[in-house]
Order: sequence, then C-alpha cells, then structure tokens
Amino acid sequence: MPSTFNTCEREKLFLNPSNKKFGIPELQKLVKPHIDSFNSLLEPPTKGILNYAVVDIDPVEIFDVRIPYNSPAQGNKLKVWIDEILISKPLLSEHVRASTMRKIYPAECRERLTTYAGKMNIKLCWKINDGNTNFETKYVGMAPIMVKSNRCNLQSLFPKQLIEHHEESEEMGGYFIVNGIEKVIRLLLVQRRNYAMAMIRPSLASRGASYTEYGVSIRCARQDQTTMTNVLHYLKNGNCMLRFSWRKQEYMIPVILIMKALVEINDKGIFEQLVQGEFSNTFLTDRVELMLQEFKSFGIQSKERCVSFLGEKFRVAFTLSPSYSHKQAGEHILKKVILVHLKHNRDKLNLLIFMVRKLYSLVAGECSPDNPDSPQNQEILLGGHLYGMLIKEKLGECLNAIRAVVTADIANDKPVDFNDKKYVANVFNRSNIEIGRKLAYFLATGNLTSSSGLDLMQTTGYTIVAEKLNFYRYISHFRCIHRGSFFTQMKTTTLIHLNQLIGQAGFICPVHTPDGEPCGLLNHLSHTCRIITTKPNVEMIPTILAEMGIIDRLTTGTRDTKTSFLCVQLDGKILGWCEPGHAQPIVNKLRLLKFEDEISIDLEIGYVPPSNGGQYPGIYLFSEQARMMRPVRYLANNEIDMVGSFEQVYMNIACLQKDIIKGVTTHIEIEPTSMLSILANLTPFSDYNQSPRNMYQCQMAKQTMGTPSTAIMHRTDNKLYRLQTGQTPIVRPVLHSTLGLDGFPNGTNAIVAVISYTGYDMEDAMIINKSAHERGFKYGTIYKSEIVSLDEFYESGIKHHFGLGEDATPSLREKLDNDGLPFIGARLKMGDPLCAYIDDTQGGKTIVKQYKGSEDAYVDQVRLLGDDLGIYEAQKVHIMLRIPRPPVIGDKFSSRHGQKGILSRLLPQVDMPFTESGMQPDIIINPHAFPSRMTIGMFVESLAGKCGALFGVAQDSTPFRFNEEFTAIDYFGEQLARAGYNYHGNEPMYSGITGEEFQADIYIGVVYYQRLRHMVSDKWQVRSTGPVHNLTMQPIGGRKRSGGIRFGEMERDSLLAHGMSFCLQDRLMNCSDFSQCHICRKCGSIFTSLSLKTHYQLNTNRTYKKHHIQCNICETSRWISLVKIPYAFRYLATELASMGVKIILKTKDD
Amino acid sequence: MNRESYQGPQGPPPPSASSTATPRASDNAPKMLYNCADCGTENEIKPKEPLRCKECGHRIMYKQRTKRMVQFEAR
Repeated sequence: MPSTFNTCEREKLFLNPSNKKFGIPELQKLVKPHIDSFNSLLEPPTKGILNYAVVDIDPVEIFDVRIPYNSPAQGNKLKVWIDEILISKPLLSEHVRASTMRKIYPAECRERLTTYAGKMNIKLCWKINDGNTNFETKYVGMAPIMVKSNRCNLQSLFPKQLIEHHEESEEMGGYFIVNGIEKVIRLLLVQRRNYAMAMIRPSLASRGASYTEYGVSIRCARQDQTTMTNVLHYLKNGNCMLRFSWRKQEYMIPVILIMKALVEINDKGIFEQLVQGEFSNTFLTDRVELMLQEFKSFGIQSKERCVSFLGEKFRVAFTLSPSYSHKQAGEHILKKVILVHLKHNRDKLNLLIFMVRKLYSLVAGECSPDNPDSPQNQEILLGGHLYGMLIKEKLGECLNAIRAVVTADIANDKPVDFNDKKYVANVFNRSNIEIGRKLAYFLATGNLTSSSGLDLMQTTGYTIVAEKLNFYRYISHFRCIHRGSFFTQMKTTTLIHLNQLIGQAGFICPVHTPDGEPCGLLNHLSHTCRIITTKPNVEMIPTILAEMGIIDRLTTGTRDTKTSFLCVQLDGKILGWCEPGHAQPIVNKLRLLKFEDEISIDLEIGYVPPSNGGQYPGIYLFSEQARMMRPVRYLANNEIDMVGSFEQVYMNIACLQKDIIKGVTTHIEIEPTSMLSILANLTPFSDYNQSPRNMYQCQMAKQTMGTPSTAIMHRTDNKLYRLQTGQTPIVRPVLHSTLGLDGFPNGTNAIVAVISYTGYDMEDAMIINKSAHERGFKYGTIYKSEIVSLDEFYESGIKHHFGLGEDATPSLREKLDNDGLPFIGARLKMGDPLCAYIDDTQGGKTIVKQYKGSEDAYVDQVRLLGDDLGIYEAQKVHIMLRIPRPPVIGDKFSSRHGQKGILSRLLPQVDMPFTESGMQPDIIINPHAFPSRMTIGMFVESLAGKCGALFGVAQDSTPFRFNEEFTAIDYFGEQLARAGYNYHGNEPMYSGITGEEFQADIYIGVVYYQRLRHMVSDKWQVRSTGPVHNLTMQPIGGRKRSGGIRFGEMERDSLLAHGMSFCLQDRLMNCSDFSQCHICRKCGSIFTSLSLKTHYQLNTNRTYKKHHIQCNICETSRWISLVKIPYAFRYLATELASMGVKIILKTKDD
Repeated sequence: MNRESYQGPQGPPPPSASSTATPRASDNAPKMLYNCADCGTENEIKPKEPLRCKECGHRIMYKQRTKRMVQFEAR
C-alpha cells in the first residue's frame, strides 16, 4: 500500500509545534509570489524597488516669483527631492506607555478591526539655488504591511511562535489587513515586458485618418517595475509614428525624429540600419525612403536640433522646470518615455530599428501578429510591484503638493522666503503628504486613483477579500490570476478556447476556471508554476554570447539578402545578431550553461526559429521579474530545468516517457498532473471524469462548508462556515498530504449506495440515513459577527458607554449583563437585546440594540475592543454569534466529482436497505446521476474508498496513475476480492421495508462528500400577506423584506395555456393590487372629476340627506359606477395625467 | 481560577450594599471580569475605565463566560 494516513505524525505536529521549521513547507511556497514581490520593495537594502523608484522621481523646482515658462528663470530656486524611503514594522505609537510589547501583531489588527500598517517616513531633501543640501525626515502616513513579509512582525516565526501570536500554525501570509479584513492584491495578466509585440487591432486605426490597424507595441519596464508602453503605428502612406502616453494623454511622434534625437545619425545611416542589406526588398526600401523624405518637411537635421525641437514641443505637457533649456527638456523626455527599460540611447535606437523592421514585416505579411491572449506574450503583475508603483506615484504627488503650496502663497501675495528655514518647514507641514491613507484606500476598495494610470488598463478591481469560507477557497485566492476587468466587457470567445491558448499548458490550469461569464478570464496557476520575483545576475551573458559567435554589429553594404540574420535580445536590449544556422546550437549551449553556476536557472531562452509567415524570428532572452516559469526535467542531463511561457511554445516537452521522440524531444514533464491547479489536482481520479465535471468540482470545493481556520477563536470574519465533524478523505492524491490539507478537512467519508429507492432520490435528490444524521453526520455551524460601535466623534469626549443605566428594566437585566453585553452562551431569539449602552446626550438613557436575525443564535464570544492608545473606555464590541445548522431537507451536498444533490429525505434507519453484512448506507443517490454525466471517477473513488476503509489505508487517487494495461478497476477489485467482497464493488442488498433481496446487486462504497454552503435556511422565501409596494400596492420582492417571488409573464402564460383564468384572476388581481374605484361611464375618467354631492330629498313625509358621487365634468351621478381595477393601473393613469395624457376608459354593461 | 458560587437561573443575587463613588444601579452589581486577549490575565474593568490590560497593556478583552446557569429545553 503506497500511502497511509500519517495520523501520528499529524498529531505530533499539532501537539508539539516546532519553533524551527514548518510542518508543511510546501504550503508556504504557494503564496511566495505575493510575499517575495512585497519583500523586493525594500530588499536587498538600497537595491529594493522603492529605492530605485525614489531615484526615478523627478526633483521639483520651485521659484519664489511668478514666471512664465518661456522666460529665463528668475528669483530663487528651491529644489525638493526625496532621497530615501523607510517603512518600519508595525509598532505601537510612541504615546503608548502602558504596554510591555511595542510590536503589533496581525491578530490584534484582525480582532480590533484596524489596519496592519507600519510607519512610513521619507527623507525629504531640499536645496536653495545651488547651496547646501538640507534634509528633513517626514512622516508620510501608515503603510499597510503584507503579513509575513519582511516588514511584518511574523516574518521569521515558526509554528510554535505563530500559535503564541494567535495565528494559524502554518500561517502563510501574503495578504494585507485593512480594517480587520484580509485583502489580497489580485495577480493580473499583462503584456510581457521588454518584448516588441506585433499587433493587428482595429483600435489602432482609430487614432486618426491615416492610421492603420498595424502596430508594434512594447511594454518597457524600469528597474522600479513601473512600466511605459510605446506603440509604433503604421500609417497608410508607410510612415511610422511612435505613441506614448503621459498622464493618461496620448502623444505621437514621427519615429525618424526620435531616431535622430537619440543618436547623431544621418539619413544614410538610418537607411542602412533599417534595410540591413535587403536592398532587393522594395517594400521595405520604398517605405524607409518615404519616411526619410517626409521628415525633410521638419527641416531639422542634427541631433541637437531634434532634441531641442522635442523639448520645445513637450515641455508644457511635462510641466518641466523653467530652468531647463529646450535641449535638457528634450533629453529628459527621451529618458522618461522612450523605451525606458534601456539606459543608453544607442540601445534605444537599435531597438527602435528592430521594431520598425518588425512592423514592416508584419504589414508585408512576412510575420504573423503576436497573440496578446497567449501566456507566451504575457507576464504577471504582482501585488508587491503594483503596490510599489502606487507608492512611487503618490510620493511624486507629494512633491507636487509642496510646489502647489508655494504657488498658492505666491498667488495670494503672501511672503515667500526660501532662505527662512521656518518658512520652508512651514511649507512642508502645510502640504498634504499623507499617503498611508491613500494606500489603505486602494487596498480596501481595489480602486486605483492615479494621475498617470500606471500604464494599466483598469481602475477598479485590483484587490479581493481573502475569504476564509474554507481553506480551499482561501488558498485559491492566492493562486488566481485575472485577465483584467477590461476584458470582461469584451465579447470575444478566444479566451475560452483551450486550443488557442496552447502556450498556457503547465502554467495556467485548464480545469480550474469558473463556467459562465468569467470563464477563461479568471484562471488559476498550476500548482508547480513559479513566478520569478528576483532578477538574476545576467552581466556575463553578452560575453558568453560573443564567445559563441554573435555578431554585435551587422556589416552594412552588399550582402546576400536571402539569409536574414536573427536578432538576439536580452530583456529587450539588442545584444547582436546571429546566422540562422547557428541559432539552434547557441540556444542549446546556453541551456546547458543554465545548469552551471554562470547563468541562473531562471533565464528564459526563447528561440523563435525562422518560419514562413510565423512569429517574427529571433532569440529572445528574458531574465527579469514577473515571469511565469515551471520546473520540467531536461533529458540531456536529467536535471530539473525551469521553462518559461515564452520559450515553451517552441520547445518539445514530452508528457510521458512514451511520448519522447528521439532527437526532437528535449524535456519531459515531472508529473502529468503538474499542469493542474491545487484544486483540480485534488479531484480524485479526475482523468476518468468528463471534463466539465472537474470544472464544477473546482467551483464546489470552494463553496464547501469545511474548516476555515484552526484559529477560529481569534477570527472576526463576518461569516464563517464550519463543518463540525470533518474527516480526512480515505481516497486522496499525494498533493493532499504534501499541502497538509488534513489540517483543514473539507467533508466526510460516507457510505454511498447507488440505488433508486423510495423515489426520494429522483432528479439529483439524495437520501440521508436519519440515524447518521442524529450521530452528527454533516453537522455544521455558522459564526456571524455583530459589531457595535459607539465611537461617534464628540469634541467634548465620550458620550456613550456600554452598560445598563438606572432606567434598565428587570427584564432587560435578565438578558444582558451589567456591562450592557450579552451573557456568553445565552440563546438569542429574534428581537432579543444584543447589547445596551448609556447615551449621555439623552440624559443617561439606556439604548438597546436588538438581535435582528430570524434564526436562534448563541452568543459565542464577546470581545471589547480598545482604541489604538489604550486610554479610552471600550467604544466598540465584537459579538460572535453561533448559529447551529444541522443538515435539513433542502440543504446541498456534493461528491468530489461535480455531482451535487439536495437532501430530500432523512430516512429512518429501519427503512434503509442493508447489505448481507448488515451495513446500511449513509447516503443514497440515484443511478440516473451517472449515464449522462459520465463521472466514472466517482465509481472508482467509491471502489477505492471501500477497500481503503477495509484495509485501513489511504488510497492514492492522483490522476493518470492507471492506464489500459494497469486498470484501476483491477487494482481495487483485487483488493476487494481479497477482503471477501465482490470484485466489482456490487453487493446484494435487502429492502429495509420489505426485507426482500433486490433483484439487482447494488453498487455501494465509500465516497467523500462535501456539504455546500447553500442551505435552505438562508434561502427559504414564503409569504401569504405582507408588505406591499408604496406606489403600486403590489407585493414587494426580496427575501430580506419578507416579500414574494415574482409571478412573471411566462408564468402567466402557462396559466393561460391551462385555461386557469380564475386562478389567474386570484393570483394577479385579488391577491396582488386589487382596488376599487369609481368611474364615470360617460366621460370614461377614473379620477379627475369626482365629488360628493349631498342631496336633500323629500320623500313622502320626511327629508333626509343622501350622498351621491358625481362626475364634475358631466355634473351628474348617473353614470358613476364602482369598478375593480388593479392599483398599478391607477398609478399608471396618474403618471400619464401628470404628463398631460388623459385616459378614457370605454365601458360596457354586463 | 477561583470559582464563584453557583447562581440560580433567576439571575444574579440581589446586589449587596457596597458603596462606590457614583451611585448607579449597575455599580452595585458584582464586578465585571474580562480576560486579556494577549496574555490571558483576568482584569476587572469598571464602567468608564480605560480598556487596557493591567499586565501587558493589550487593548482587547474577552468577556468571561457567565457564571449563571445557561439552560435550554432540549426540544
């Protein structure tokens, strides 16, 4: 037997948590991309992302006089810049004295519903004119800190200490805590950095009349991980324009202008570089000639003049300092927006030339466009990187805020004196440089408020709540990657088609994506996929390549046009060129070098071979962060190689040993299951199921009532679902143990009989053994949080106090303690007091808050939450209520094969069928659930579970372990036979009602069942009479408001079709908005002209009053009659009348 | 932990005649005890007193389970 339950080892981990190592190290690796990206913000010291960001923020120059942009600078110049940024670990404020520990741990923030944040300080430097540099350390707010990052107090703690700090024993971190809620920054798919991508998009043509749909786009990443996208547009006449955007505004520049501004180069030089000897390619030469000719109209030639021209045109848009000359301004712009990943202008020119060539080749049809939806051309926007971008931008805004203060002072004619230290300090204090709150806002809402847009396509939806519904859902939050909300609006289906996205194999799970609207947009990483977070050292690569025979400069002049050289690029920098014939050997040699110390294993060697109209050929090396890579075995040396999503497309990776083709295959998968996500991997025998069923299971696993946490006592989630008696599955894949999922059971093993019995199992209903139910089978609990906060702001101090005042009645004292809070363990019914407080503003009146829920709840926990400083009385309480949820008819259950069902009957044990050994099933499901759904995996699981239970071993259910020669049926059948059971898993069974043996043998075995969170208690909706809508007098909708369910048009049609007009009248009129009103049959009006008229009528011998309703238009009561009409119709008539439309009703006598 | 005497389901016994500074009905009641969320120390917190653990200065308190008998009908 391959694996057992490891119960003792697990028990030991729980009893003696280690203080040196994690019990389940694999779990920590799953959230690594999040934590590492956050860590790289300030790590390694002085080389973190934020350190680079601070350098890249432009200093602000402020003048003490009003000056127009074009006049030479006058007055004094105050230059302000940021030199350093420091983020400290979360600590108590200095004002707190009465505390033994200054560190704040995440558990406290969760419980106190605050933000887990560390102090952020910047070193603000300033210089007057060209004087000495002064600096000041300024506090810029509290920056939310990622749990378990290098700024978290939990960073180096191990299970024992983690438990001491009220965490999960295997806490993974990777999220932020904002107002007590755990927030994760979503991983987003974005265009691969530093790779020029050919595109054909209709939107490119919308930029202007002469623009076409052809373009080459490159997303350039700076060292601080901020990006700038440059797009090369192809114009109808053959010219090229470079587009960039600055502060959400798009700008176009002719590409020749930029080339000339970058390097001193003449037209001949540009021509030779662009054509690269292909003089016979007239398509190319024609267009290059045209570009150069068109540029003549600018009338500028030298580099200096081109740069000045750029500076002159763009300095206003970039709000550059007036002290810059046009030339300086132009150089600044070239540095800031043109191919920002490259430092040297020569490199920029080379890449521009490459891009132009690629664009012309795309237009000529020599190469195909790159698919932006394929992971080949994508990378991942990591949470830490996005957070760093945001901090950088907000810091830049701080400097602008300082400038704004001075400008405002000048405008208001206030004295401005930079030499006065007090004034400068005053300016700094008055400017709003608080950025901590902005960061917290971003994390809390997921909304990006940015002046530049950060080169991203969306403004909302960047963060998600890491719900602890169960552990599987929780872990999936950290592994999910979104295509971006921009694509959710697009009506393309390319993303759902697996065959188009062959590049995703192994990186993104093909199974684990929701069906329906977000299908293909919301994906999950495969469990082996890694995301690179540190850039390895690649300094020696150019040397190595040169040694291998790469030409660093193409000899121009006459050359055979048939062999076009392949471009070799490293992170978007052109290293040289190589002959097509030499490419493959170079690539092979490079790959072997990856296993030596010289080159990092994380280097991606993308070799796009020359093809007939395929992707633009070349050798593209990638070493930078944010790439997806995965481990694969390299056949040449049998070692583990890392493969990236770009190179994989052109590699031959065998799945199984038998797939290897000699001389073609270079790599082999470590496991065939490495392409699956964690959840998809946990579906037992998923290779036997019809594929959509595996998708359903991935979704249902995330809705299961399971074990959300092992530290439930310290959690303050709004709602927690808990399965009381979770078990480890008997049938589980290896990954289950590797990830330690036994700590978070998600269901129970159940004896399942597949039989049509009593009729209560029709149509996906299932029967549960009543005795199993009474033993606690699938018993669940919901924990709900009630938060009562009194801290309204009063200048004069606290005005509300928890407690019972003098006026509290004895009956209230019966229900609440003297502190105004409920007794722990007490049962609350609807309307019972939940807590009470004394309101000083109302003269010490006791105000009672009621429990509003409709279900009985028990008070599980009451925590009093203090303030940050610990100097005020409790103003906030958190009351945890426990709602018991035994399974009832209508609750939803499912196996792990997408086979969900509704509990329809708790069948008494005596009536349950039994086997020859007297066994009775816990669950009965109907055989009709199988033929159309083809979840053979469930049969195999049943079989495996049965023999696992018989022998007391855990059965391995990893997919792809069995094959046609070695079948699962035989493997488990033999075990069953050995235990004395039927080889096929069938058993003769007897009816519990008649005691007779069934004609057929019944398939019975052990299947792991999940209880889903959808329960009737949360969903039932019933009404006889109840609230009605104000305007229409029709019943309102909505379960919360005790409304009804709409009886819509289609329902009406069906009643009509049945001829049930009386029922229809009853439902839609009498029980809905029935109303009576008077109508004047003559003028046909229902409301305008009614008045009461009193008659004095003489009748035989006495007078008496008689009331008549009369129509004021017709001035008679003769035609008035009472009719029954829907109230909604009266409303309609009123609305129409208010618009001056009159309704005339034609009436008929009956 | 010292066990307090059992209290009947009728509620707390009639308040004893101990005198405190502010004459309020609730002040005469038995003292309210809480456990610190960090160190677990038992703290007595009077009305309007700052919420802070006297041992470690922590700012969260758990209310103790009631000494009253909590009794429900089984059905």
